Amino acid sequence: MGQLSMRDVRKSFGTAEVIKGVSLDINHGEFVVFVGPSGCGKSTLLRMIAGLEEITAGDVTIDGKVVNDLAPVKRGISMVFQSYALYPHMSVYENIAFPLRVEKIEKDALDAKVKRASAILKLDERLKHKPGQLSGGQRQRVAIGRAIVRDPSVFLFDEPLSNLDAALRAEMRVELSKLHGELDATMIYVTHDQVEAMTMADRIVVLDGGVISQVGSPLELYHKPANIFVAGFIGNPKMNFMPVTCLSSTEKSITVSLPNNAEVTVPVVASGGVVKGTELTLGIRPEHVLPHAGEARVETKPTVVERLGIHTVIYATQEDTDAPFVSLLPGAAPVAVGKAAHLGLNGADCHLFDTDGAAFERDVALSDVDPSLLTQ
Amino acid sequence: MIDRYSWWEYVLIYVGLALFLIFALAPFFEAFLVSLRPLDGLFSIPYRFFTDDMSFDAYISMWKSVPLLWRYMLNSFGVAVAVTLFGLMAIVPAAYAFARFEFKGRDALLGVFLAVNMVSGAVLIIPLYKVMQGLGLLNTYFAMIAPGTAFVIPTGIWLLRSYLMKIPRELEEAALVDGAGRVYTLVRVILPVAMPGIMVVAIATFIAAYAQQFLYALTFNSVNELNTLPVGLFQFFGRQNVVWNEMMAASLVGILPVMIVYVFLQKYIVAGLTAGAVKE
Repeated sequence: MGQLSMRDVRKSFGTAEVIKGVSLDINHGEFVVFVGPSGCGKSTLLRMIAGLEEITAGDVTIDGKVVNDLAPVKRGISMVFQSYALYPHMSVYENIAFPLRVEKIEKDALDAKVKRASAILKLDERLKHKPGQLSGGQRQRVAIGRAIVRDPSVFLFDEPLSNLDAALRAEMRVELSKLHGELDATMIYVTHDQVEAMTMADRIVVLDGGVISQVGSPLELYHKPANIFVAGFIGNPKMNFMPVTCLSSTEKSITVSLPNNAEVTVPVVASGGVVKGTELTLGIRPEHVLPHAGEARVETKPTVVERLGIHTVIYATQEDTDAPFVSLLPGAAPVAVGKAAHLGLNGADCHLFDTDGAAFERDVALSDVDPSLLTQ
Repeated sequence: MIDRYSWWEYVLIYVGLALFLIFALAPFFEAFLVSLRPLDGLFSIPYRFFTDDMSFDAYISMWKSVPLLWRYMLNSFGVAVAVTLFGLMAIVPAAYAFARFEFKGRDALLGVFLAVNMVSGAVLIIPLYKVMQGLGLLNTYFAMIAPGTAFVIPTGIWLLRSYLMKIPRELEEAALVDGAGRVYTLVRVILPVAMPGIMVVAIATFIAAYAQQFLYALTFNSVNELNTLPVGLFQFFGRQNVVWNEMMAASLVGILPVMIVYVFLQKYIVAGLTAGAVKE
């Protein structure tokens, strides 16, 4: 079992409240990623689950038992730290065996468990080495080995890949996802890297200023961000935002006027209706910007062009307002710095937010596979 | 490799180092020369550093002049080892607590420890005598060990605390999550990692304990067999004359234990003083 729930969990350091009432249910076997900018409280929340930080108010329940006052070891959790936290004077074998030695497990059983963990993590050849003799990726695997050897019901990962280089990080992402499948365990993973969050998570919890901004599947967060913060946080390059004015609204769409007076109809749920003239914010992801096409046109002047082969990222300013506008066009797009680029967008790709930053729900079917590609 | 200094900076550095070395080593060099020369030619005018009649005779005759010399040396060594061991027994847990626990008055307490170190041992010698007398400890090894230990503890705590603070907290948290208690974590995880730091403190304590023995032994002890070397050396002061060459020989033999300890544990000192200075 690996069921975890939090009910109105709060944490204060002195007078500063850093976790401001978090409630969340995590099911057995789920891979949940806490993501958010620095200082949003994601690591603190993880440490509260681990028992390394006291819970100021609220309850943390693991497998039906309130664990607020339990020592970390009695919570049935294991944790992998950002700095690996390996014991430098012990061999890989002893590092992995450490929790079992504390438990005073019988020698043969201990040996079998360590061997099993090292086989899963391909560390068999390294058991006699000290952590200092290992590469970053191997060290991280030892840290994971130390976590899995205890068969915990919940695994906690605190930015475990942030010390690795980009290639190794990508490799370890795949390995961790595989491990999740093999162990059938609940995993809670903290990161500030949205690629890790999007690629590994069953569900992502976006935290902002100590509160949950949105919980959802990666695609839900991408296609239906609940607010302007999540919309801006998920996706790279970041979503473009521009102030727009409501021209008319129906149950299923809102028509708005862009700063350059172009009009676009965005298919969103607006059941209460939106009064004409209301100031709204329109969001469009750079990858949804179209070259020389789209229902509404945006004239831009590129200031920086990044060519990545597979696509071209254009950092530009809008001609009428000088506001920044980023677009990501496929392949080697025919644009140049300082030379006007005629871009456009379709209403179906746009997001709309009210003055409080809350999103109007988009009319998009969430599917792992694009249905339009299946008909081809 | 690019030279970090220009030639004249190198000259300045080496001249500085040479001056420092001369100041530090000159007394030992002179003591060694004195120990090699016969007593009657020591104060010849003009003073001569080197003479033709130099020998190691004083290193043999000193054991006869002061028959208990070996005992004094053993006492000195024993008292210093005891002070170091007892000192570490207090320093290690205290430094750990000061490095890791949040408690009221922690910083004030550290300040008090520092203040204690600023008071000379001589100022406290009369009250300490009364305490020792009251406890019936005069003329025992304990009378030299107990105050000696008390005096080395504050410095030791300051030294080791700063070392322990550099050990990542995550190591302890990992051990805590792995189910280890505080004591288990301290013994199995923190102490092995902190060993270079502990070695530095142990050596510093040993040297301090060796150096501070004169006052306590002189004041709290009147039994000849229990005397430490600094007090024992006074027996080379005769009624008529001072046996300088034998006294210098005994002094040099007396500092051998410190030198041996230092040479053997030197690598720990260097590692301990530089650990954490650079990202490894």
